[in-house]
Amino acid sequence: MDDDSIVFHGTLSQLLAKVESGEMIPKLQASHAPMCKFFTAYYVINGIRHVVPLVHGPTGCPLYMSDIVRTRECCEERGVPLEPTACTTLDESNVIYGGEGKLLEAVKEADKKYHPDLIVILSCCCSGIIGDDVESIAREAEEQVNCRVLALRSEGFGGDFRSGYEDAFKLIMELMEPPKKKVKGTVNILGARWGPTLTEFNEDMEEVKRLLGEMGVTINAVIAGGCTVDEIKRAREVELNASWCYDWGQKLGDIMQERFGIPYSKTGQPYGLRATKEWMLGIARPMGLEDKALEVIERETEQVQPYLDYLHEALNGKTAIIEISEFPGPIRALSLARMVEEFGAHPVVINVHPYTIKERMPSIKFLLETGVNPEIILTKGLFRLGSFRSSKETEDELEAIVRKYEDPIFFGNSARYPPCPVVNLTLLNPAFQPQYGFRGIKNIAALVRQALEYKDLPRSKLLRGMLYGPK
Amino acid sequence: MDQSKQSRDDKCNDPYLRCAFNGAAQTALGVSRSALLAHSPQGCEYLVNNAFAWQECDYMETMTLCTKLCVDEIVHGGEDLLMRTIREAKDLKIDALFVLSACGPEIVGDDIVAVCEDMQPEVDFKLIPIQSPGFKGSQYDGIDIALDTMIKRLANDDGEKIPNSVCLIAPHANANPTWMADLEWVKQVLSEMGVKVVATLSHKTPLSDIENVPSAEASLILSHDAGQRAADYLSAKYGIEQVCKGMPLPIGMTNTQRWLNALGERFDAQKKAEKMVEEGERMVTATCRRKWPMARFFYRTPAAIVADATVGIPLVRFVTEEMEMTPELVALYSSRSSVRDMLEGELKELGLKPNVVYGTDVYKTRRGLMDVRPKIVFGSTIERHASEGLGVPYTVEVVRPMRQFRLINRAYFGYTGILNLFECVQNEWVLRWRSKDKRYEAKW
Repeated sequence: MDDDSIVFHGTLSQLLAKVESGEMIPKLQASHAPMCKFFTAYYVINGIRHVVPLVHGPTGCPLYMSDIVRTRECCEERGVPLEPTACTTLDESNVIYGGEGKLLEAVKEADKKYHPDLIVILSCCCSGIIGDDVESIAREAEEQVNCRVLALRSEGFGGDFRSGYEDAFKLIMELMEPPKKKVKGTVNILGARWGPTLTEFNEDMEEVKRLLGEMGVTINAVIAGGCTVDEIKRAREVELNASWCYDWGQKLGDIMQERFGIPYSKTGQPYGLRATKEWMLGIARPMGLEDKALEVIERETEQVQPYLDYLHEALNGKTAIIEISEFPGPIRALSLARMVEEFGAHPVVINVHPYTIKERMPSIKFLLETGVNPEIILTKGLFRLGSFRSSKETEDELEAIVRKYEDPIFFGNSARYPPCPVVNLTLLNPAFQPQYGFRGIKNIAALVRQALEYKDLPRSKLLRGMLYGPK
Repeated sequence: MDQSKQSRDDKCNDPYLRCAFNGAAQTALGVSRSALLAHSPQGCEYLVNNAFAWQECDYMETMTLCTKLCVDEIVHGGEDLLMRTIREAKDLKIDALFVLSACGPEIVGDDIVAVCEDMQPEVDFKLIPIQSPGFKGSQYDGIDIALDTMIKRLANDDGEKIPNSVCLIAPHANANPTWMADLEWVKQVLSEMGVKVVATLSHKTPLSDIENVPSAEASLILSHDAGQRAADYLSAKYGIEQVCKGMPLPIGMTNTQRWLNALGERFDAQKKAEKMVEEGERMVTATCRRKWPMARFFYRTPAAIVADATVGIPLVRFVTEEMEMTPELVALYSSRSSVRDMLEGELKELGLKPNVVYGTDVYKTRRGLMDVRPKIVFGSTIERHASEGLGVPYTVEVVRPMRQFRLINRAYFGYTGILNLFECVQNEWVLRWRSKDKRYEAKW
């Protein structure tokens, strides 16, 4: 590969420093557009059951999300009921004269139509710019309807990707009532999203629940991954908050600790044995369940020992090129880097977008503190014009990078075609297997085995041509 | 916007339709060798991506860009940022860059028209600003806005008319998820009648075709939801006569026959049209004789139709005449007066008195289904889930959003379209009767 194609080559901490100084943020306005504040706020709010997210704006803002919810993630995959995504359908006249009156009526109408447990007014660009006072309307409306009404300022231009979910989680805290009692042995899982819809990998959530169950821990609520308003109200009765995705849950955990004194178990994602142990003990120790947890860890470790041995044998001395550019995102890539290191491989994470680093700064800093500091390579293709999609340029660059390393193995998306074994960690993995915890160890071992044993099987020319054009 | 009173009275909607920005993007992305620049916050880029998929653009060829407006641009204006972003795109090998403005920049008063004029000398491609904020209305209003801009900015009139020629309008304003096949069928029919298509507004349309629009003798709208404004303008400005006006689109035997005959009459190809009808009807009958579609078991079954007007209105006759069902609920996404007039005409002619909901949203649809309790619903995935608990045994998914995307484009228009729709019903019928219970265990 031409070295001109490499824009950055160093460690995560070096990249972070460059991002913090503004050096690595792309100057091209037209490149890479992640979600806006409205979208991430919506994701969180939609994760509460029987809620009406009432979008105070034109119809474009809610429809992308509601289409996904209705056609793929919600009704079809998880078998949950069709929930509304309501909208005030602001038109030109509302933009000129204001939409507050319409909004007040809309809240009353939404209550009458859908009988929800909660209505959350989400403002978007239009209502934000014209200055509709959504908070006052929420307060006024709440006196006239049968459910709680909250307002969230979530204008798309109003903040970054991170601010949407942080503000939404902060808002949810208003629902949390003073605890009547502390319920021993209970936790909240923080940082899940798309509740009635997809919680990233549903199967990972099942593994988390299983491990907690083995330790004798009960989950009060998965916030906001399909929890009810009642569960949120009781959220302060738990002994501890535990992270699901450290990045999404971090702010909520910290504020609940600060404001309500509920300890927050800060650990990374439970990928591999070491991180899984840390995740379990992070919960068990403050709850006085360390002995029980160690017993479970020992028993489970014994069961997966052959898989651990295999992973050591298969990965030791290899270079693991890691690229998670689809939904699961950069935090998973860094968790994977930590996992492969545990099994003796050298991790090289490629194309973690600087925007991503910027938006996830607190989580990245936390991971660095825990010793996650892999080699990072960013290529030119990452900064190209247009949407952040699979591109021929980044594929060519990936292939060239892989050729530079001895004995490489690729962890990432099966839509990549590097000249080495490919471990298929695509979001929609066809076997619906967890990657977290002990079951995750078994499954990742199986995926590594498939990658290594069948590395010489030809890849589909058709699919490659579809993605990147003719060779 | 021409919304019904009923729609205006609703303050809280769970809408089917996207906003004007999305409709404008759908239209702009139908122009080949172009790129689209969304002058918007980055969230609107997702609406552009959706439009990109709706036009089946090839991501190896078509680029979408965004100015990614933030608070600063909303407070101080985003024109400088727009200029900078256009400069970033100046090396793109394209014929046109469509600059679409979203809600934010329109409210704060960014003048994208002036920016495009100022920037034009700096770039080799045409800059075409389309002011299409979401609050201007539904996606159909956005399609009209974009068509208006494109025609007014690009059309060149040299006064020469191409004999027997037509301009096709708004093929993409159609809820059939594989609407490209409808368009192909129309083009095939016109070709067989010796009619030249001067331009398609828009799908894979070169810029030169849009420039050439005034040379068309006639226009043909392929939607009941959008495009009329463009046809009226073309008629007034260039004397382009609209054909098949006020006629349901060619879904089902009668509609197809009427539509083909109208075209045949206009383009002096009556014999050809009659032959197409004769052969088409014979083919459909012969195929049904061999395949025995299950549709025949639905005699007088109460049905509901929930769709856009483009598919929904002609479906009423098809469901009544070909399938012998009884439509008891017709819920249409749109509510323009032309849509109302057409549906009411069809219902009167057919002697039907279903519950009719114009400008429906998900709530109204569910209420309608609760009132009517049909046995079969023609609609989308939304209706499948909205029907839960209402005792609706069959939901035939014919319009977007659909659970399963079809890789092969299938027409609803014309004679093969009839068979395609029969097939949708057939599959639903079979799935309904597939037992989920094992009656006995195997011995081995």
